[in-house]
Amino acid sequence: MLIGSGLITVLVLALAGLAVWRGPRPSDERRWTIWWGLGFSMSVLAVLLAFALWAGERMIARDDGALQVQAEAQQWGWRFVQPGPSGPVETEGVLYVPAGQPFDIVLTSRDVIHSFWVPQLGGKMDAIPGHRNVHRLMADAPGTHEGLCAEFCGIGHAAMRFEVVVYDPAAPPPFVSAESLP
Amino acid sequence: MTEDQHAIAPNPPRKALLLHRQLDRVWSDLPGWRGTVCSVNHGTIGLRFMATSFAFFAIGGVLAMLIRAQLATRDGAFLDTQLYNQIFTMHGSIMMFLFAIPMLEGLSMWLLPKILGARDMAFPRLGALGYWCYLFGGIIILSSLLFGVAPDGGWFMYVPLSGKTYSPGINADVWLLGVTFVEISAVAAAVEIIVTILRLRAAGMALTRMPLMGWYMLGTAAMMLVGFPPLILGSILLELERAFDWPFFEVMRGGSPMLWQHLFWLFGHPEVYIIFLPAAGVLSTIIPVFARVPILGYGAIVAAILGLVFLSFGLWVHHMFTVGIPHMALAFFSAASALVAVPTSVQIFAWIGTMWAGRVELRLPMLHVAGFFLTFVMGGLTGVMLAMVPFNWQAHDTHFVVAHLHYVLVGGFVFPILAGITYWMPMISGRFRVRALGETAFWLILVGFHGTFFLMHLTGLLGMPRRIDRYPDNPEWEWLNLISSIGGMVMAMGFALFVLDIAMQWLFGRRSHRNPWRAPTLDWAMALPAPSYNFASLPGPGRDDAGAILPLARGEGLLPGAPRNRREVLVTDAGTGRPSHVAVMPGNTALPIWTAMVLGSFFLLMLAGLYVVTPLAIAAILWAGWQWGGFMGSRADAPAIQAAPGLSLPEHWQVRQTLAYSGTVTLLVADGTLYASLLFGVGFLTVIAPNWPAPVSGLGLGALLTAGAALSVMTVATLAARLAETRRATPSGAGFALAGVLAAGLALVLLGGLAMLLDDPRRHARDALRAVLLGYSVFHGVVALMLGLRSLCDARQGRTGSQRRGAAPVWQLFQTFWLTTSVLSLGVIAVQEIG
Amino acid sequence: MIWVAQMLAGPMLWGGLFSAVYGLHGLGCALDWPDRATPLGPLHPGGMILLWLVGLGLHGLLVALNRAGGSETQRLLVRSGNWVGAVASAVTLLPVIVTSSCG
Repeated sequence: MLIGSGLITVLVLALAGLAVWRGPRPSDERRWTIWWGLGFSMSVLAVLLAFALWAGERMIARDDGALQVQAEAQQWGWRFVQPGPSGPVETEGVLYVPAGQPFDIVLTSRDVIHSFWVPQLGGKMDAIPGHRNVHRLMADAPGTHEGLCAEFCGIGHAAMRFEVVVYDPAAPPPFVSAESLP
Repeated sequence: MTEDQHAIAPNPPRKALLLHRQLDRVWSDLPGWRGTVCSVNHGTIGLRFMATSFAFFAIGGVLAMLIRAQLATRDGAFLDTQLYNQIFTMHGSIMMFLFAIPMLEGLSMWLLPKILGARDMAFPRLGALGYWCYLFGGIIILSSLLFGVAPDGGWFMYVPLSGKTYSPGINADVWLLGVTFVEISAVAAAVEIIVTILRLRAAGMALTRMPLMGWYMLGTAAMMLVGFPPLILGSILLELERAFDWPFFEVMRGGSPMLWQHLFWLFGHPEVYIIFLPAAGVLSTIIPVFARVPILGYGAIVAAILGLVFLSFGLWVHHMFTVGIPHMALAFFSAASALVAVPTSVQIFAWIGTMWAGRVELRLPMLHVAGFFLTFVMGGLTGVMLAMVPFNWQAHDTHFVVAHLHYVLVGGFVFPILAGITYWMPMISGRFRVRALGETAFWLILVGFHGTFFLMHLTGLLGMPRRIDRYPDNPEWEWLNLISSIGGMVMAMGFALFVLDIAMQWLFGRRSHRNPWRAPTLDWAMALPAPSYNFASLPGPGRDDAGAILPLARGEGLLPGAPRNRREVLVTDAGTGRPSHVAVMPGNTALPIWTAMVLGSFFLLMLAGLYVVTPLAIAAILWAGWQWGGFMGSRADAPAIQAAPGLSLPEHWQVRQTLAYSGTVTLLVADGTLYASLLFGVGFLTVIAPNWPAPVSGLGLGALLTAGAALSVMTVATLAARLAETRRATPSGAGFALAGVLAAGLALVLLGGLAMLLDDPRRHARDALRAVLLGYSVFHGVVALMLGLRSLCDARQGRTGSQRRGAAPVWQLFQTFWLTTSVLSLGVIAVQEIG
Repeated sequence: MIWVAQMLAGPMLWGGLFSAVYGLHGLGCALDWPDRATPLGPLHPGGMILLWLVGLGLHGLLVALNRAGGSETQRLLVRSGNWVGAVASAVTLLPVIVTSSCG
């Protein structure tokens, strides 16, 4: 998409540059407004939109029994609940998820609007008081990722960070047993 | 139908200098300080708007430099977080509300009458009122920064962060009240621009032949008319919640924070196109001039404007892709956001085609046009990328969006406006510019801009969110931010040089000759600098381009001079441009500044929380409003005015379709949009907000009977208003006016009684919304009653007759609107009670 | 001025249709319509698709019948207005048949 945009930019600027450089030349109204203005832009957008709808449809969280974790945001920190061997385990500022399988994160907020974002896992979703938002994510390999609040939420906004620890499902951290994973 | 059939014979030529003296005496501002306070001339007001907005642009720019200084290093200790939050909030708010919108209002007020062939805007006093509201509101907002209580919730003021619980100080109130105060000028400007374009064009200038700038401004003003009311409503609701604890956005009592986001972006996205369209109008005006060919694809461009105006109202949710809205709803707005790029692309290719057809002269304004192309195309494409939901989820609220919006706004507004300023400066100052300064300024701005924002796309993709003041754990963002900060300083130097260039031109530039760019449009058919009255005689068929300068100056056009010592303009038919009548405009008056001051006192009292005293301010506002009508009306039928040989036109007191009537209809469109937004709020909270249904309502038979009685009396008032006009020539006219006034007053009393019966608005969002519906009805009742009183005075004091109607037609409009919205409100409440 | 109204007809129809379908979508998700079956399939996308098709039919009528006289620009603008509305309705509401409704 970035490359495509770059090419279109260069193309349009080249046309504009050519138009300025020499002239006058015969210029047909239909060619510019209908072919370029309508035809070119609509075909590029149609392809892009089709792709985006298809990709968006695949990213939606569905009721397919995926692992569910909860995140509750407040000024200025995150509380996570993830499944453990004997019921849910609550953590502060660190979220543990298994690698290689999609999981849904259920977002709520205790005070103002926050937004859950782990840049390396992609996608973000707002945590809104009174609403319950579900967002689907997946981490490919074990590791640690940094997460942050992406919606401005007051004085402590910049420091409202958290960590996502992605573990190998075969070797879960002590408080998660292999059976509790779906 | 050819133009020849409407040909208007020329008036006999006269001495241009004599005409000039006669007109200038009538149209110029008063000398000295009284001129500052009393001016209503569109030229003065337009330039004031532009100069003031540029001053705010400079202030906003200084704030931006502070932001860049803070972010240049990862542990920036330059500002503390609280101040940083105030500064970025103020930067956004100032640039949007105190720079971009007023700048385009100023440009259109200054330019439109000139380019359409008129002597003034349709409502000179309203323009002046708008300016003072803007200035006072801007000062209120700005002074909060000095006192350290500036808004700090981000320029889109999301609740609950901007609610009373999380922002207990007056910071948020400053934003809500200050911006609403400024918005009065935006709505006033929108009404004025629409009526000017539709009714004050040169005789015989059909809509299909009007300069493209007219179409662009018509589109812009239509969008302002429909786009601003949702924001005004949102601000009123939030201020009510903050001041009186009426819950519209609080989840516990049936509100929803999402309502604010919908109302805000319902304004916020059209806003982007409101800013872009006038700039595109400048481009469509300038490019053909420097390519020395007519614009290519006039019809296609008008169609593109039409598409943009409508589609831009179907995009607002793309600012809300991450709030948890179902994918199908996102997809509607994603598709609309992609589609809106099509009309933009039609325009861009029409401009390229125009340049293709001509031989382009790269004068300074064209350099800025080139800056537009370089910048805006990229901004548009990143916009299309952001319209795609999956990408948006990644890039939303990061510096990628910051880069995108600056590419769109600076590319799509600032560069074209700089082009426009340099293009029209000879007309403003009457001078040529000093060489080389402007080019240097342009290159500094261009290089500085891309230096600041190009790499910021990458900063965002690397994960840097918006609105953070430090990033100690992310050294990888540091070099990018440092480059952006350096670029920002370069850009600031460029703008400083630009201002210097303008000042030098004003002070030391060589005197310009007429029409220095050899442009074809009417705005250049006048001496430089532009005289206070624009045209000594008004353009007509066959004499409506820059070539008509001499015949117009000699008085060969319509309505030459000012023989009756009044400000006279020619009003035409909206579609065809056929002359309709002569309107007499108000002259210099201090009423606008007084009105803005009493309005300002109301906002200041609200801000100070002195609610007990506000009724005094409201009374003062009513008093000021009453004075406005004093100018209108005439006690005698005047003979027809001969505008040209064989063309006799009545004065505006003797026709029904006056400018004021058109203006009221236009204003009611905005008012109706506000009401529709309110109904949207009712529907939205009912369906979406948690904690519904509301507690059992305490409304009973008594409330129903009171409401029914109020509506019946309102109906009587509406009928009486109608009869007061149709029977105006008979003695019974005054009687009907009196009956109408009494009925409207009684309806207001009954509405007051109804207010006593309502449930406590603090209990639940439903009850709060009902109180707002009732308040809306009361507000319109008061306006209708004032107009009724004005009509009654007209009838009593002989300002009505077989031809003269006084204020009655406008009274009827308001009365009908009041009745209609009240019936709808009662219907909504009845449905809630039954359902 | 009649031609101006004719020019606005297509985009206005889009505005009405867009609001109606968007409103129906919100209402349907709030009232659990996707779970309610009708003889023609589930009520939720079903109702929206029906509305959309009716709207497209009206757009078709506009394109076929809404013509203006007068100058060439005038005729072009009325024709463009018809198409702006029709394309806008077709594209922006296309998701009713390709995406899942309340997920």
